[in-house]
Amino acid sequence: MILKAENIAKAFGNNKVLKNVPFEMGPSSLYGIVGENGSGKSTLLKIIVGEWKSDHGTISVKGRLGYCPQRTLLFSRLTVEEHFRYFAAAYGIEKTALFSRTELLMHHFNFKKYRSERIDRLSGGTLQKISLAIALLHQPDLLILDEPYNGFDWDTYLRFWDYTNHLKTEGCAILIVTHLITEKERFDKVYNLSDGQLT
Amino acid sequence: MNARRIITGLSMILKMLVRRRIILISLVVIPVAFLTGVELTASEKIIPFRLASLDEKIFIEHSQKGIALVFFAVANTGFLVSFLALNLIQIDSDVNRRLVICGYHPFELLISNMLSLFLVIFSIAIYIGLLIHGFVSIKHLLLFIFGLMLIGFVYGCYGLIIGSMIKGKLEGILLVFLLANIDVGWLQNPMYYAEAHNNIIIRYLPAYYPSQSVIIAAFTDYSVFNAAFYSILIGSGFLIISMLIFYNKMRLKK
Repeated sequence: MILKAENIAKAFGNNKVLKNVPFEMGPSSLYGIVGENGSGKSTLLKIIVGEWKSDHGTISVKGRLGYCPQRTLLFSRLTVEEHFRYFAAAYGIEKTALFSRTELLMHHFNFKKYRSERIDRLSGGTLQKISLAIALLHQPDLLILDEPYNGFDWDTYLRFWDYTNHLKTEGCAILIVTHLITEKERFDKVYNLSDGQLT
Repeated sequence: MNARRIITGLSMILKMLVRRRIILISLVVIPVAFLTGVELTASEKIIPFRLASLDEKIFIEHSQKGIALVFFAVANTGFLVSFLALNLIQIDSDVNRRLVICGYHPFELLISNMLSLFLVIFSIAIYIGLLIHGFVSIKHLLLFIFGLMLIGFVYGCYGLIIGSMIKGKLEGILLVFLLANIDVGWLQNPMYYAEAHNNIIIRYLPAYYPSQSVIIAAFTDYSVFNAAFYSILIGSGFLIISMLIFYNKMRLKK
């Protein structure tokens, strides 16, 4: 298993958002989690990536983790290329590998022309692409995406699925959390998070 | 600890700092505003005053303008550095968290921020030190600049504490300016301090030792060793507290 979560529980005051949720993913899998706004989807992801602590339960992740949060968390005064350099240092990617991966991602998601632009001068959709590309930069074994295609145009949406399918065939486990899934057939499994439990 | 990560972090933080217009504007406007205020209001009248860290019988005599300029050098450095430190650590803290999720150790990020802060302190202290020296003759310029670095160190680390602790920008700025204003901008003024009824409280405020070291270096030949030593001690205490708060906030909760 690449991801194994056991009995994850989390409450905010009296509001029990997650009630002993079990969840696991193996290689080459694509799972989706849907749920209403405030159902605890992002909370579950934040616990899996280690941003928040669960009140109860254990999480085990094997391999490299790629995480694309719901909010495009980027430095407004750095350029696109500077972001890749900064996050490459975090991932421990060497310079030569960084160049080829950056070129590939910029080409695939069609934002090469913005490589020297500062983040605060780009549109919301472009920022979403950059945020996603950062999560893909180190070729993760487990990819966790929180509402990844919000703001994508149709072409980028299709490119997103192309890339995701390619990753899946390479053995990557992909977890997509969204409030709306239109193409269920793309997923191996789709869970519904409701009343603190996955069904 | 990974040197590449620290160096990359340092270079990115410095790039972000110089690209913030408010930072560059404050570096130019605030000292000029203070200097103009003193130049327009202070007189050349000679005033005797005592320094708390020297013997009670020692009186220093200098023009009101000279004292005000030196005091405002301290206040300026304290204000500017604490504001910059707050900005360094508070703005983009969510993105820094993402960097930690991607592999940065919180201490690597903190060290990058601290190195940036030290560079800022160094530059501001030299800039303000030389600027003031153009208006008033400073007895020991290097020690005077060193004293300004000490106030920068103490107030910079205070800014780091507030920035690590407080999420809201306005609340952070309020807390930084509140203490900086009361302490370094008012109570440590030697003209106020000399006549204060209860100067015990003033001695326990963070700007006390650094401002003493600046004023001693500016107007006397006495040693600044004690004042500098305690300044470094207080600054280091603040630094350790800020490191612990930052680490606790940034670490992965697994």
